[in-house]
Amino acid sequence: MIILDLALMLITAYFVGFIYYGLYRNITARFQRRIGPTIFQSFYDSIKFFGKKEAISHGWMFYLGPIIMATGAIMTLFFIPFFYQSESFSGLSGYGNLFLVLYLMLLGPLGNAMGVGVGGNPFGVMGVTRGLTRLFALELPFYIAVVAIMSISQSADIATIAGSQTTINAFAHPLLFIAALFSFVAMMGQSPFDVVGAPVEVYSGPASEFSGKFLSLLMSQSAIFSFAKLVLMVNLFLGGADGFFELLWKTFVLFLFVIAFGAIYGRFKTPQSVDFLIKVPTVIAIVGLIFATAWGN
Amino acid sequence: MRVLSLIISLLALWGVSTLFGSEAHWQIDMGSFGLEGVVIGLKATALANFFALLIAIGFFSISLIASKYKLSKGFYALLYLLLVSLFLIVYAEDYLLFFVGWEVMSVTTYLLFSYDLSREALIKYIVFALASAMSLLGGIMVLYSASHSFLYTDAHQGFIALSATLQVIFILLMLFAFFIKLGVIGFHYWLMDSYEQSSDFFTPYLSAVLSKMGIYALIILLVYVVDIHMISGTWLAYTLAIMGLLSSIIATFKAVNEDSMKRLLAYSSIAQLGYIVTVLSMADGLGGALYHSLIHTLVKLLLFINIAGIIYMTARSKFSELGGLIYRMPQSFVLLLIGIISLAGMPPLAGFASKFLIYTTLLEGGNLLILSAMLFASASAFLYIYKLIYGIYLGHPTSKRYETIREVPLAFLIPQYLLSLLLIVAGVYPGIVIPYFNTILKELRLETIPFESYTILGSEMASYNGFVLMSAFVGVFVLILLFMLSLRSKAKEAKDRFDIAYCGEVPDEGTHLHYGFSMGKELKRVGFIGVILRNSSSVFYDYISRQLFGFATVFRKLYSGNLSFNFNIAALFALILLWWGLR
Repeated sequence: MIILDLALMLITAYFVGFIYYGLYRNITARFQRRIGPTIFQSFYDSIKFFGKKEAISHGWMFYLGPIIMATGAIMTLFFIPFFYQSESFSGLSGYGNLFLVLYLMLLGPLGNAMGVGVGGNPFGVMGVTRGLTRLFALELPFYIAVVAIMSISQSADIATIAGSQTTINAFAHPLLFIAALFSFVAMMGQSPFDVVGAPVEVYSGPASEFSGKFLSLLMSQSAIFSFAKLVLMVNLFLGGADGFFELLWKTFVLFLFVIAFGAIYGRFKTPQSVDFLIKVPTVIAIVGLIFATAWGN
Repeated sequence: MRVLSLIISLLALWGVSTLFGSEAHWQIDMGSFGLEGVVIGLKATALANFFALLIAIGFFSISLIASKYKLSKGFYALLYLLLVSLFLIVYAEDYLLFFVGWEVMSVTTYLLFSYDLSREALIKYIVFALASAMSLLGGIMVLYSASHSFLYTDAHQGFIALSATLQVIFILLMLFAFFIKLGVIGFHYWLMDSYEQSSDFFTPYLSAVLSKMGIYALIILLVYVVDIHMISGTWLAYTLAIMGLLSSIIATFKAVNEDSMKRLLAYSSIAQLGYIVTVLSMADGLGGALYHSLIHTLVKLLLFINIAGIIYMTARSKFSELGGLIYRMPQSFVLLLIGIISLAGMPPLAGFASKFLIYTTLLEGGNLLILSAMLFASASAFLYIYKLIYGIYLGHPTSKRYETIREVPLAFLIPQYLLSLLLIVAGVYPGIVIPYFNTILKELRLETIPFESYTILGSEMASYNGFVLMSAFVGVFVLILLFMLSLRSKAKEAKDRFDIAYCGEVPDEGTHLHYGFSMGKELKRVGFIGVILRNSSSVFYDYISRQLFGFATVFRKLYSGNLSFNFNIAALFALILLWWGLR
């Protein structure tokens, strides 16, 4: 039964993730007065790449990198419940908690970093270094906000946190939400924090040496992981969801915000984004934390 | 000698294991030796047994690699003496024997260092070790002035009887002594050079076990003397929390910028011990501190032995001189990977268990800012952790020699396999050590850790199931692997290491491709991290040393080597003394 549940979660995340990615490309195009690709373009690309040959192999660890990254993304998904009340689509969340999810989210980047490192492409490692540097910076405000939320709900169980919000946390604790949103934009790899992948113009980034089915695996895990992160944010700050409709519109609103944010701002250099993230959102988060805990007493 | 050391380490393991659960106790009244009222003793408490086990595991691990090092008989003798002194420290029931053990430990470590360290590093070490010992002695004397007993059981009464000022002085003296041993940031000046230059055979022990004596001493101080129940909200708690956090954060960023493998791991040690110091600032934190001590001992043994193997094979100790060893040393690579995953505290291995326990303790105690800062330090650690594995095993080989190099000898691999097995088992069964920790906590009259089963760790606020986690992880991993294998597509193997996508250019021998060893350099440009990276505690100590030097010149002017002059001065002093005495 649990296997079926997990499979359904995975399939949902895969499809919704890719449709969201298609929407991202489409909507960004409209921002830039282009027509853009169809919504299903990335999905088709992913399927197509699964059947393509790879350009080159750098040994077994090179292949294990994307696989570990995909494992990390799927594990993250499995430990985040989709709905706060229902038994189905809760995955393994009964066996884990928010701390576990926070750490599982880091597993993928580290696994991929191994694969990129063994590829020996300096541009790939450049992306990894940027990614890990951005990672710790974006985690700081996010952790403060999440820790405050855990303390407010007196639980580290995600379903409990989602269900215990009478006023949703985004409105009850706006400062924490704003701080977490900055981190979230960075987590989604959006501008102004998108120097890691540098998706359009620079020939660098973690994916530079991968091709064929492994590139496709990286794309798929990215779609799944994005959806998992969206669900996590909805659970933590937007009061969770009680059904598919609620989950989809809440995640979509959040996603739309991220796209809009990214479409407007230019890109930070790595040190700039670190500098920004450990200053502005962190201060907001700390003030929010002090407010939240003072409120609670 | 090598076999003997292995036998002794096995005996130590066996001896410690027999003491588990026993109430072995030995006490002697020194009155019969002319020291009225002085009672000393040894006692096998559950806490002492735990740290004794760490000592024995560490010694066993390094005695396995001893066969690869040409160590003199004197070195072995000192090593055994060190072992005795460590057992004396943990089993002592009073501060007198504890001090003897501490002093012997410091001096034997100095002598062991003297085989390898440069003169400067040796002087640094001995100055700090002596400062630590003297400060400890001062603290013990202050306490004795009120308790009139060295026994831990009388220590709390004595501490309460002290005046408020003396209490502060006592705690500061003790903290100074222990912080030096722990290498808390600011007190770590001696530590870096000692770790870097000491024999690769001895460094694992230094990091994994000797530093734990600082933790043990801190626990003794907090539990027996100060009473950890009353610690919350006091200045002592804040000092521990802030010093611990500063250690974790500063050492983490310092580690990113190191080019030497051993220095990077030395900073990592400081950072990890920082977590333990921080969590000890809470009354409920002892469980997490013990768990993290255990994991840190296992991980640091594993990592330092791994690096010892690399240095043994390549005779290089810098990231900039290594690289690309993965397919030459696949076993070492996988073992280091297990080590760094545990060091980072990533699920599903055991490193997560101890960190999780620390986090839930902090969350339940309501120390939210400390918790956030600790999570931040923990996430920042990814940079140096990646640098460690990339610099050695990934990227490009920096020398043609590495294309034909072989796997490290079995002597290095065996202890690593044993240690990583322990880490995996503790990852699947994170609750396996909790019953024993609860005996320790009960014995110290502290709140126990909730225990359900071996696979579950956590409390009401948060818990996780290690078995489900590991099975799901392995399951997902295998499924993806099978899926990828089922897709038929054959890629051509890279012909040589230059066969990469390189911006349309073709790299050759002269192209600098092992780029990542210098990662972390750009962090200098970030505001507060740059401040950390540019500054060093050596500025302060250099200032102190200059002032002392200046002060010493005054005496050197008096003692100029001119005998008659010195004699006259001495005579003058003698006369003054005589006059003063007669008056």
